[in-house]
Amino acid sequence: MKKMIALGFEGSANKIGVGVVTLDGTILSNPRHTYITPPGQGFLPRETAQHHLQHILPLIKSALKTAQITPDEIDCLCYTKGPGMGAPLQVSAIVVRILSQLWKKPIVAVNHCVAHIEMGRIVTGADDPVVLYVSGGNTQVIAYSEGRYRIFGETIDIAVGNCLDRFARVLTLSNDPSPGYNIEQLAKKGEQFIDLPYVVKGMDVSFSGILSYIEATAVEKLKNDECTPADLCYSLQETVYAMLVEITERAMAHCDTKDVLIVGGVGCNERLQEMMRTMCSERGGRLFATDDRYCIDNGAMIAYTGLLAYAHGTVTPMEESTFTQRFRTDEVHAIWREKKEPSNMNDLIQESS
Amino acid sequence: MAAPVADTAGTQPQWEFNCDLEVDYESEKNASMVYAALAVDKELQPDKVKRQMEVSNGKLIVHFEAVEARFLRASFSAFVDVLTLATKTIEEFGQGMEL
Repeated sequence: MKKMIALGFEGSANKIGVGVVTLDGTILSNPRHTYITPPGQGFLPRETAQHHLQHILPLIKSALKTAQITPDEIDCLCYTKGPGMGAPLQVSAIVVRILSQLWKKPIVAVNHCVAHIEMGRIVTGADDPVVLYVSGGNTQVIAYSEGRYRIFGETIDIAVGNCLDRFARVLTLSNDPSPGYNIEQLAKKGEQFIDLPYVVKGMDVSFSGILSYIEATAVEKLKNDECTPADLCYSLQETVYAMLVEITERAMAHCDTKDVLIVGGVGCNERLQEMMRTMCSERGGRLFATDDRYCIDNGAMIAYTGLLAYAHGTVTPMEESTFTQRFRTDEVHAIWREKKEPSNMNDLIQESS
Repeated sequence: MAAPVADTAGTQPQWEFNCDLEVDYESEKNASMVYAALAVDKELQPDKVKRQMEVSNGKLIVHFEAVEARFLRASFSAFVDVLTLATKTIEEFGQGMEL
């Protein structure tokens, strides 16, 4: 039987990516382009959308060429419905709607957070882990239960990546390849730990107060020569990652699961992985993590997750192919994770169509 | 293939600011495709900006009305960006596309 193939589009934040994958998770191509702002500056919706507008069409050509496929061979077109910034999300949605009409292919709308989880699972082989999803826009501890990815804990204000990115702006670190990467490199040279607020509230975490505190302290301490930028990066990383490890460990106890999967852009931070690995090994579990190719937003994760849904009968009609800034992980019915009994399959397909 | 024409003039008291955009695709099929893709996204502030679209003789005809000039400008400008993207997508991936 011919392998099913999907073309996926991701553009919810500052990366625009197009990926081609098959149902078994083979990535045939996955090019992306990142909008990198000058040091000290973040990315704004309008400028980011302009970046995506300029790069999306060449990326589609490159994705098809590398994968060595023609539009005829594609089974479905997948795009990020949300969550994310509105204007950048619209770019992928518009292109998918046109291609769907030109090539006569169905559309599948995908939740960005769920896509990170599915990509992490297929790449690492983690079957049913507790998932820590950490990126510039999201911070959630998630576990699967009864058809949905349930959020066990999350940030009550800004995402951990946003806290890191904005601190990098205070130090005017480069945003190339990413502010988080440059904080991580500088943190390796840190020698002195500076006490920062540690904010875990039950299963949830909060980062905005830590950011305000370090923004105020940093300028003062650096001026008085009491610490170096490296000390601050080191202290910030240790504090926020300890908080994340704590809530992940608590979720593991709740779900009686020993495996942890880290996904999202911050997930490629090696210090976070190291701290999480220590915790997992103390509990007799395993840590599953990936590198920047899969952690960071990409088109393949959207294509793969969309294809899973499509193979179980999900299609998004053109009129419903909208995008939305808010789209919670637990809103998605993960039909592909339900028990795969042959007699059940037909019911599933009918139910969702 | 696309020749946009825009003009602005104030008429109604409520929806004082309006503007028209016409793109001639010289193809009913292409104009309808762009129409279908752009019709999905509604105006974000329907109490401040209204957008009406139609396809006629291979042309996409769009009419905007707004209560303030700045809303009209923002809406129109964002619309032209996505319209251009949709049009370029057809040009590059429509019939006779080359990889």
